[in-house]
Amino acid sequence: MAHSDDPSRREGRYDRRELIRKTGVGAASVGLAGSGMSRAFYGPLRFKGRDLKGDLSIIQWAHFVPAYDKWFDDTWAKGWGQRNDVQVKVDHILNTLLPARAAAEAAAGQGHDLFFNLSPQAQLEDQVIDHREIVEEVQRKVGKIGRLGKRATYNPKTKKWFAFADNYVPDPVIWRHDLWNGVGIAPSTWENVRKAAPKLKAAGHPIGIGQSAELDSNMALLAFMMCFGAYVQDEKARVTIKSKNTVNAVKFMADMFKRGMTDEIFGWTPASNNNFIYSGRGSMILNAISATRTPEDLGLPFSDQLYVYPIPKGPVQRLGLEHVMGSYSIWKFAKNKAAAKKFMADLEMNYKEAFIASKFYNFPTFPGAFPFKKMQKLAAADKHKPRGKYQILTTIAQKYTVNPGYPGSTNAAFSEVFAKFLVPRMFAEVSQGKMSAQDAVNAADHDFKAIYAKWRKLGKI
Amino acid sequence: MIDSLVRGVREQGPAYLIVGPLAMLLAFPFYVMVITAFKQQRDFYDLQHTPYWFHKHPTLDNARFLFNETPYTHWLRNTVLVGLAVVAITLVIAVPAGYALARLSGRIGQSLGVGIFLTYLVPPTLLFLPLFYVISKLHLQNQLTALVLVYPSFTVPFSIWLLMGFFKTIPQELEDAALVDGASRLKTLTRVVFPISIPGILTVVIFSFSLVLNEFVYAFTFISSSANRTVSTGVYTDLIRGDLPQWGSIMVAALIPSIPLALLYNTFLDRFIAGFTGGAFR
Amino acid sequence: MEAVSQARPRGRRWQHALERPGFLASLLISPAVIFIGALVGGPLLLAIYLSFTNATAGSLGGKWVGLENFRREWHNQAFQDAVWHTFVFTVLSQLLVLLVAGMLAHALLKRFRGKWLLRFLILLPWAAPLPLSLMGWTWMFDTTYSILTWTGQHLHLFSKVSPPVWLAQPRLATGSVIAVQAWRIIPFATVIFLAGLASIPKEVDDAAAIDGATGFRKFLSISLPLQLPIATVALLFGIVFTATDMAVVYILTNGGPPPSDATEQITTWAFKTGIESGSLGGGAAISLFLLPILAVVAIGMLVFARRTEVT
Repeated sequence: MAHSDDPSRREGRYDRRELIRKTGVGAASVGLAGSGMSRAFYGPLRFKGRDLKGDLSIIQWAHFVPAYDKWFDDTWAKGWGQRNDVQVKVDHILNTLLPARAAAEAAAGQGHDLFFNLSPQAQLEDQVIDHREIVEEVQRKVGKIGRLGKRATYNPKTKKWFAFADNYVPDPVIWRHDLWNGVGIAPSTWENVRKAAPKLKAAGHPIGIGQSAELDSNMALLAFMMCFGAYVQDEKARVTIKSKNTVNAVKFMADMFKRGMTDEIFGWTPASNNNFIYSGRGSMILNAISATRTPEDLGLPFSDQLYVYPIPKGPVQRLGLEHVMGSYSIWKFAKNKAAAKKFMADLEMNYKEAFIASKFYNFPTFPGAFPFKKMQKLAAADKHKPRGKYQILTTIAQKYTVNPGYPGSTNAAFSEVFAKFLVPRMFAEVSQGKMSAQDAVNAADHDFKAIYAKWRKLGKI
Repeated sequence: MIDSLVRGVREQGPAYLIVGPLAMLLAFPFYVMVITAFKQQRDFYDLQHTPYWFHKHPTLDNARFLFNETPYTHWLRNTVLVGLAVVAITLVIAVPAGYALARLSGRIGQSLGVGIFLTYLVPPTLLFLPLFYVISKLHLQNQLTALVLVYPSFTVPFSIWLLMGFFKTIPQELEDAALVDGASRLKTLTRVVFPISIPGILTVVIFSFSLVLNEFVYAFTFISSSANRTVSTGVYTDLIRGDLPQWGSIMVAALIPSIPLALLYNTFLDRFIAGFTGGAFR
Repeated sequence: MEAVSQARPRGRRWQHALERPGFLASLLISPAVIFIGALVGGPLLLAIYLSFTNATAGSLGGKWVGLENFRREWHNQAFQDAVWHTFVFTVLSQLLVLLVAGMLAHALLKRFRGKWLLRFLILLPWAAPLPLSLMGWTWMFDTTYSILTWTGQHLHLFSKVSPPVWLAQPRLATGSVIAVQAWRIIPFATVIFLAGLASIPKEVDDAAAIDGATGFRKFLSISLPLQLPIATVALLFGIVFTATDMAVVYILTNGGPPPSDATEQITTWAFKTGIESGSLGGGAAISLFLLPILAVVAIGMLVFARRTEVT
């Protein structure tokens, strides 16, 4: 216990001592306690005079660009805490466990002050405060919130901001230029993708769009549907899945699967897109730019060949979803709401740093927080080859990125459809030949309507 | 000479033929873990390279990353602390109860025993939220104490049931003799019964400890800060960097607790078997 | 017993009380009963209450809806699938466990060179913390880097273009989770079996040898019946471990792959419904379906074990 002045150690020791006191296993800690810790930031930070404004606890995912967490924890949160005389504590948990943890904290009525999620948790509306104040504060300083952010976190029915989304992540197509060169076309339209798919697959380089119970499949397939003019709901939160367009989309995807993909897409996980590209096997994925950043870091031989494009155009339009909607919420029972609000507002108003720290992964929900022009300039200056490939991100963000649940808002009913992965299921039933496209769409319609009816009855949509 | 050799083959051959391949099959994932643990990332991400051996030279980078970039040693320590505390609580509660159920009470004891066993059947998914509520009310969120408190909810029923069976195998006459000699019941318990119960108690220790290591729903959700995690769960947040698991380091993290524990279990296996059967008293 | 305690010299009142078997028994049992009551009983009652309400995420109460949650799940295809999968998963994995553990235990009774090492290898899966060894399996089942696929392809068993994808094809995924579940329980079952075999008196074996019973016949007519009680115990624990613990499925497939979520279990479905998508009442109801079934199975097996017990 050499560095006992180090605050994180003090915390650790307190826990241990308490454990020992309560259970009487003192002997066990001998010899185990000496194990060192190289980084100081595991546990709360403590500052002088902290009793003035108390603690602020935050729980969020482990960011897909690890450098962001380092900046967030060690630079941003720490600096903010010092400036505001608040002790900030940031916990990271596995992203798939965030909903379970949120449910547990909500049920217990106790937990972190700021709770992060990868998509807005509309179903927890009653458990969180109205975040209007933060939105208005940021709007005063940097201008209006983007349409995407508003639609994702504001419930028009109850007039409540049920979350504060600080960022969203554009979801481009990432493809291997060298491999597609062999086919002679580029993935600019879904028709092109369908044409190229069999040749790519035959060359041992299939494409990969997940149809499994996980976040990326959800996002990719919902975006794909929109390119065909198919939507889960409309502006008034009425289920609109049963349409000719949905049937077409499902059929098209099933066809593309048969021609250009393998069964692996039914076992897709959030890391699959990435692994698929890193192995050198994959020729195209729909994923945020973490999938190009890692090959750059690892120095993989084909990292220069990874091109970033907007989502391919469908028969109706070119329209995509965000890959992640970074939403924070403050529980009604949060102990330090004032600090939580200020923390969020300050983070948003200084988004330049966050954008850079995330290596252009996070985009601010308030366009005024860090203007697209400046982002594009930074992206253009990125040294990785092909030069300037990240410039397109701002175009994607401005023109082709909408909220989950578009053209409606992200509401509780949509969130449940999302959380139960009913859209990937609909697609997979058809791709696997278990159901006709029409039957799968009808079945989805039936399920969705039951869910929407439930939430309508609860007065949330 | 040849005779004995033939006999040796005839006797030992089938055993090898059965145990050898099966043991290798069971341990195969650990072989893969060892290889991956010491491989360079670019080596195991290359499909041209055999996954069975090293193509580039082995590296300690993965292990270094684990120890330098994550609080792995804290997790190990936490795991041991929680494990020992849970085992201690389990013994204090389960040994007397198991004995009493086996010996001192009649039919009521029997049904109580079955009742206690049935509580073991309750799935953790059902208890998860209520227990989290209890933990929060006790202000134990994010503390190892929370796990120490909750884990006995499944180790205790399991152990009572195991010990009940064990105590039944200890002959009543042993105790009666001590009682006739003028020892009190409590003394008989501590001086006569418990010492010969060591194998049974050892069994409970090992079983409880392994149950603690395998649990993950509570460990994941009750503990939120990295430094307070156990090995089982820390790996999932600190070693899945970005959307990319650090496979090499994960394998190191898995091997470090597994190998010594398997050695330990193996060393005690015979006593352990005795613990199950009370073989010593037959 | 009474006679014995009366023959003892009287001490202080307290000590006297301790000598009364009934009192001592309740004294020894009460901590366990209180503890279990508080940590399992209480939460269980709360969960049972929740299953009759429409409680959603964020509250531990709601409107009383009677049997509605149970009725809805009963008619829900996803739930029916989960019940069937749980059954298949449990039965097949336990059959595999019985078979392998039985063989291992018999072979391990003999003395042979290198037994210690082989035993170590067999115990490894049990010693490894499950969430960690499951990461190892995740890597071995990886869609791209699976060592199993690689091996198969190099032996020309699998196609190069579309090899099997372990956790993505319904049958394979079911097989994979069953195999991993069996893998994790085999060492434990082997130990219990060894204990059971060790408890068979040597004389029985000798007698059988004199009667000329050998090999399989001996196994069938003598060893097997003697092992039944202990096999029942091993099986019971295996069933409980398999049906109530969602670790293997949750980490490897999270209930997938489609269609109809081929590996979804009652436990994972309850977790998804009750905790991840916030219908507490429904989730509690789903978990509760499991309880009476397991209780019947458990009591049945315990009674069977006692009846066949040879003492």
